[in-house]
Amino acid sequence: MTAASAAASRKRGRRIRRILQSDHLSGWAFAFPAVFLIFVFGIVPLIWSALLSFQQTNLISPPHWIGLANFRALSHDQLFRQSVAHSLVYTALFVPISVAGGLFTAIALNRKIRGVRFYRTAVFVPVILSTIATAIMFLWLLDPNFGLVNFLLGEIGLGPYGFFDSATGALYSIVGMTVWGWLGFDVIVYLAALQGIPPTLVEAAEIDGARTWGMFRNITLPLLGPATLFLVVWSSINALQLFDEVYFLTKGGPGTATYVVVYYLYSLAFNQGVAGYAAAIAYVLLVAILSLTLVQLWVGKRLVYYAS
Amino acid sequence: MAEVAFENVSKEFPGGTFAVDDLTLSIGDGEFLILVGPSGCGKTTALRLIAGLEKPTAGTIRIGAEAVNGVSPRDRDIAMVFQNYALYPHMTVQKNLAFGLRERRTPRRETDRRVREISAILSLDELLKRRPAQLSGGQRQRVAMGRALVREPKVFLLDEPLSNLDAKLRVQMRAELKRLHRRLGITTVYVTHDQVEAMTLADRIVVMSGGKALQIGAPQEVFSRPANLFVAGFIGSPAMNLLRGRAAPAPDGIWETKITAGQLCFERAGVPGGEVVVGIRPESLVPGGAELTGPSLDLEIELVEPLGELALVHGTVAGTAARSGAEEEEAILLDETSRAPVTALFSASLQPRSGDRVQVGVDPARIYLFDAATGEAIRP
Amino acid sequence: MTGSTVPASRVPSLATGAKAGAERGRRGGSASQREPGQFLFSPWHLVLIPIAIAMLVPMVWMLATSLETLNETRHFPPIILPHTLRPANYSDVLTQAPFARWFVNTMIVTVVTVAGNLLFCSLAGYAFARIKFFGREVVFVLILATLMIPFQVVMIPTFIIVKDLGMINTLYALIVPNLAGAFGIFLLRQFFRTLPVELEEAARIDGASRLSVLFKIVLPLSGPALATLAVITFLWTWNDFLWPLITIYTPNNMTLQLGLATFEGTHQTSFNLLMAANVMSMLPVLLLFFLAQRYFIRGIATSGLKG
Repeated sequence: MTAASAAASRKRGRRIRRILQSDHLSGWAFAFPAVFLIFVFGIVPLIWSALLSFQQTNLISPPHWIGLANFRALSHDQLFRQSVAHSLVYTALFVPISVAGGLFTAIALNRKIRGVRFYRTAVFVPVILSTIATAIMFLWLLDPNFGLVNFLLGEIGLGPYGFFDSATGALYSIVGMTVWGWLGFDVIVYLAALQGIPPTLVEAAEIDGARTWGMFRNITLPLLGPATLFLVVWSSINALQLFDEVYFLTKGGPGTATYVVVYYLYSLAFNQGVAGYAAAIAYVLLVAILSLTLVQLWVGKRLVYYAS
Repeated sequence: MAEVAFENVSKEFPGGTFAVDDLTLSIGDGEFLILVGPSGCGKTTALRLIAGLEKPTAGTIRIGAEAVNGVSPRDRDIAMVFQNYALYPHMTVQKNLAFGLRERRTPRRETDRRVREISAILSLDELLKRRPAQLSGGQRQRVAMGRALVREPKVFLLDEPLSNLDAKLRVQMRAELKRLHRRLGITTVYVTHDQVEAMTLADRIVVMSGGKALQIGAPQEVFSRPANLFVAGFIGSPAMNLLRGRAAPAPDGIWETKITAGQLCFERAGVPGGEVVVGIRPESLVPGGAELTGPSLDLEIELVEPLGELALVHGTVAGTAARSGAEEEEAILLDETSRAPVTALFSASLQPRSGDRVQVGVDPARIYLFDAATGEAIRP
Repeated sequence: MTGSTVPASRVPSLATGAKAGAERGRRGGSASQREPGQFLFSPWHLVLIPIAIAMLVPMVWMLATSLETLNETRHFPPIILPHTLRPANYSDVLTQAPFARWFVNTMIVTVVTVAGNLLFCSLAGYAFARIKFFGREVVFVLILATLMIPFQVVMIPTFIIVKDLGMINTLYALIVPNLAGAFGIFLLRQFFRTLPVELEEAARIDGASRLSVLFKIVLPLSGPALATLAVITFLWTWNDFLWPLITIYTPNNMTLQLGLATFEGTHQTSFNLLMAANVMSMLPVLLLFFLAQRYFIRGIATSGLKG
């Protein structure tokens, strides 16, 4: 090594050390904007919300503390109880139907038959439509007087139904509509999972003698476990947050037939100026969602096999 | 137990390639047959045709004299060990073994009995409650075999089962497999690209290339009487040395034809004149000095690889190299002069060194001749 | 339902390669048969065709209605193919409501939000992936935690914050809180970690600053991940309803979804106009979908295959 190249490499060494020393600074510099935004609009509101639940505010004048009054009121609130019931009913219907439907459809779509790409696209498109756009379509489709569905039902001697206008049928109509809108999501996830099953496994099972049902129950379904767990958790979380469709189509009605938790929350905070109470409900919702998720994950851990 | 037969079987893929090209082969009841050849030669496809995982585009496949072309894999009473074992990852070893029997409605007691039996034979008893992810490669391989054998199939198919194991384990498992076959006597069809495996395990081997069977026979026969250039170059490790040569009439010699290949010169009967390829196995080249009678070559040693008792010597001789078609890659030409690369096996006690010039002789009876145009062996 | 997004992990390939799943050996073949050509008609078509019809009919019906006259919409039995096409419905929507404003507003909000996310999440994702800085692990876990929190829990305080910053009823209210999301940070961090670190080390030894490494080496190699993030963020922002609902009240400042909702309120019985408005609102997303289908699907599938 010449003297010049030795000096150059020493300089490089210093430079490298200098670079490494400022890692904390550069790390924070890079992360700061995003972290700051998430902090201000995510973490701070989360904590603030907890505080709000112990306050009363109409969002215009300054809030004042009322301790546990909101939570005590919750336990007597009839409308709250109804909202919870409706949310649970909705979730209990939406999740199994969309997940099972998604599985069935994904299996049907997971083969090389003519036009399969067309069918896949047809199933995917509803997922990208907004809740409002979907609701508008179905508002018209299920119109009690001029809608296509009532007409077709009439042709086979059923109906006409009020759908969104019917106190008994409104929630179920929303279930049907949202399943339509979200089925493609489940299909996408399941399709990816199905294609992740090693073909030699299927061949081995075939040689071992598995028939259609045996193959499905013993090979396909267990190996789809992680996907199923994800979809159940994901769908449940989203189902409990149902709002847009209720706001747009029924405003919680007819009467209070479609009052769901988030709609009630919204109405309290922004229509009735009872934001503290709404925050309390929001926190109850948070706890409920977290608990449900934990339960589902715990159940999942025991039942679901994860490929290493 | 059953015989397996291929009758003019072809498998053509869209695009016109023939993975299997007019294959006719019969495998005896209880025989251990190995399909061997380089990757892409069609051996795995042939195996999958027996399994029913592929359907032939021409010809008939028989298992136990019954044509099974349209029969689905589950009804063929065959069992298969895949290269990556394909163990059901979410089931314990015990459930993996029992799966096939349960799916066929075998009564619980019978299933348990057979699982216990196989588990004992393959030493899987301590592993029964574990999942595949918790097993080593060798253990997984045994489970894969157990799963296949527990069903007591008519035909046992193996697709490169040892290729994922490390070298030492491979040697161990080879012996296990041979012992297993002797004990159970099931008709076995085995696929590998490793000709050493083929030679040590098989009752008969089928050397395949390009979808065709180039030679079928007992390992020793294929080794000592290769039917063509490809088989000669493929079987035997280290590979046979191949030199281009000419056969010309030698009216004044003992035998009618004189063959020259570079420096090598010898006579043989019943050889038509023309371009030939001369083949000499490395172990047939014997170093010596003045005492050498018979044909000999001047070997310039370039590289010596010590192998314990023996040494693998790489060098060059005068002449032009020929290719068998079984080479893995393009041979690296040592230099551009008219010399051909040659390998020989010497006893290590001779202490060969790079740069040495050695005379090596060969018994003319152990020289192979092939037609340069067709590659077919020329036999007297 | 408002969607909150979930962490993503490795990006799977969705190429129609190996078949798997339940057996369908009616033709005597096995799951692994690669038969030349495709089945012209398989029993599964009987299942797929009704499903496809159910998926497409609402949209076709909407499209047909968007071109009908008002009287035709009131016709019973409903008309499938309108006799007289009235494309004027579309221009009517534009004149009877500030539809163009809504469109522009939404476009601005969406594009800026997407750009912001791409920028800030790249920076942060890279930092979390490659730079060891004080508190990195703790902060990352906190960020991940926010993914689990439903929007409704934070929406009231966020509203207050936005109000105190004077952004209510402006597009800022829609943009600023969403400029960087935990989903994007997670997605990009995971992706960056799959790139060979040697590339970056070589660049740094060659003298490049961290910023240069990010923009000149890492991001150019991150095309698919960035595209996926862009597409998912676009979709989510374009379709957002609840947040615009509570922060915007002047019709001219509304986004498309909000505007549509109010349009329905005032034009309840003019289904032809309503459908025309709906069609127009869907076009950008549909266009994006058909151009970038792969990334939509990847984005959704990645969330599904996390460990």
